[in-house]
Amino acid sequence: MPVSNDELKGLYYYLNLVRISDERCRRLFKQGRFHGTYFSAVGQEATVVGPCYGLRPEDTIGIQHREMGAAITKGMPLKYILAELFARKDSPDRGKSHPCHYGWKPLGIITPASTIAAQTVIATGCALAYKIQKKDNVAVCFVGEGATSNGVWHEALNFAGIHRLNCVFVVQNNLWAESVPAALGVPVEDVSERAKAYGFPGVTIDGNDLFATYETSQEAIRRARKGDGPTLIEMKTYRWYGHSEIDPANYRTQEELEYWKKRDPVPRFEKILMERGVIDESYKLATIQRIERELEEAIEFAEKSPHPEPHEILEDVYAPL
Amino acid sequence: MKMDVAQETKGAIASDVKTMTYIEAITEGLREEMERDERIFLIGEDIAAYGGVFKATKGLYEKFGPMRVIDSPISENFLIQGAVGASIAGLIPSPEIQFDDFITLAMDAIVEHAAKMRYRSGGMFTCPMVIRCCYGGAVGGGLFHSQANQAWFMHCPGLVVVTPATPYDAKGLLKAAFRGQNPVLYYEHKRLYRTIKGPVPTHDYTVPLGKAAVVREGKHVTVISYALMLHRSLDAAEKLAAEGIDVEVIDLRTLLPYDKETILRSVEKTARAVVVYESSKTMGVGAEIGAMIAEDGFSFLDAPVRRVSPPDAPQEPFAPPLAEAYLPDANRIAEAIRETVAY
Repeated sequence: MPVSNDELKGLYYYLNLVRISDERCRRLFKQGRFHGTYFSAVGQEATVVGPCYGLRPEDTIGIQHREMGAAITKGMPLKYILAELFARKDSPDRGKSHPCHYGWKPLGIITPASTIAAQTVIATGCALAYKIQKKDNVAVCFVGEGATSNGVWHEALNFAGIHRLNCVFVVQNNLWAESVPAALGVPVEDVSERAKAYGFPGVTIDGNDLFATYETSQEAIRRARKGDGPTLIEMKTYRWYGHSEIDPANYRTQEELEYWKKRDPVPRFEKILMERGVIDESYKLATIQRIERELEEAIEFAEKSPHPEPHEILEDVYAPL
Repeated sequence: MKMDVAQETKGAIASDVKTMTYIEAITEGLREEMERDERIFLIGEDIAAYGGVFKATKGLYEKFGPMRVIDSPISENFLIQGAVGASIAGLIPSPEIQFDDFITLAMDAIVEHAAKMRYRSGGMFTCPMVIRCCYGGAVGGGLFHSQANQAWFMHCPGLVVVTPATPYDAKGLLKAAFRGQNPVLYYEHKRLYRTIKGPVPTHDYTVPLGKAAVVREGKHVTVISYALMLHRSLDAAEKLAAEGIDVEVIDLRTLLPYDKETILRSVEKTARAVVVYESSKTMGVGAEIGAMIAEDGFSFLDAPVRRVSPPDAPQEPFAPPLAEAYLPDANRIAEAIRETVAY
């Protein structure tokens, strides 16, 4: 199915929104404007913008700490993303969870925990509900290649395969699980090979090519929505910075980093859109100005939001018995 | 013996009450709740056409079909985490952990996800669900089919942990669990499945979560217990009545969050407390109840709080003489009560 110019412009906006927000959040952390830590996904934007762009509000995404871009593209208001990082009262989690645990119920963005692979598993459970409820909602589940070695990830994909659930499993293979190289985490070159064991298709694509991530995801989402079962999409990509902002990432070489920086998904997509005449320099400028403005408003919202008060510590432990 | 049954059935005609076993009460509770609310579905190992290893789900697959009674692969962690997802998506799952001895495989799912979902999302996401788990010793199950691991989950705020001792409570607590907004870990004792029969109303009722029951009134000493150990404590109380020792017995029913008020009110009256529980002694249920009484009811006490429990063996061993030595019987419980009263 050909991608329309409106879709390309939409993808362009989100690709830039995610990149600029991510770089800005890194700076905010370094400036001490919020505490804890921050998990950047700069370099990996196309792996989340592609699958999430165009999802329906009632679709679910299972994300973890590095998928801020997925939450943004699904439509989570930027002000709540920032309030979450700042651990303020207006954060959807009311300051309870952990930096980068974005969740937003109105759009099916499940607030994560920190155990790796969990969000894929919980989102698969949502897909089980969709089958029982006879809904065509889709669950898009994100993990890194490291999480595919976790037993419960296998349990979830196994179950999704048995019941042909409406799932799209996205594996962002960024070559490093915190400090452990993929070669010590996964015994196969392509994680997508694992799909064979679950009885549904698996594909490996260039995760830094937004055309590829979008088109492949759209096809998988269509399949899932029709009830044709899950797809595993492995997207090869790279995170430019450390596991979190307190990790200097000196376990990898400068050459490796430079290799991937040359494959930066943002200018790559932009160049093609310029060449095709979908956008021009003034469109680019206007888009970036719009994003800067939206980001300023979100930061202001977060910084003005009050801190939670100590007595709130026991709120939301239980519903009334 | 069962005060709330007595109250419940007072003035009722005999046809309003049926006598059934503990496991029949569970099956009937499941069936009635599934008829009442079509969001409820069951998922677990061997629970569908096979009816469960103890037959607790017998007949439900035939009645409700394969989308509401689902046989699961052997994937305990997914069973619970998947249920958390299904609950978020609007259903009320009831995953079954076949034996408490396997619940460790779902520890992350229960502790990090089910118990913390409401808190970690600032109340946005809730995951009402009823995790049924069969547990307990005195059936010759050996080290890996007899475990009683309630104490671990009593350390997980956000989770409700219940364990009934009677058919009346088995059905009433199950119904209350399905009608609430919290994740409930519903612990059913396998020794009680077919050894305990009792009256159960034919009309709809619930037993409130978080409320203990004084199941025997007495003035000399309070015994706090639950499930199988409750029955053995009641046997001990019968023996001691003949010796002139008047024992009050409390059935906790809900282990988390438990009913401090009922315990303290009783200890204020009797000035003595014995906690009888099923799992190793150190850091068990008795550690919490004893510490709570020491903290909030110290001035009531005329004797130290006494714990009666299995020894600090990992769990009930298999060889009969070892198994016999594990769980407290009525004689051991009676002896501890005598010593507490004589202190």
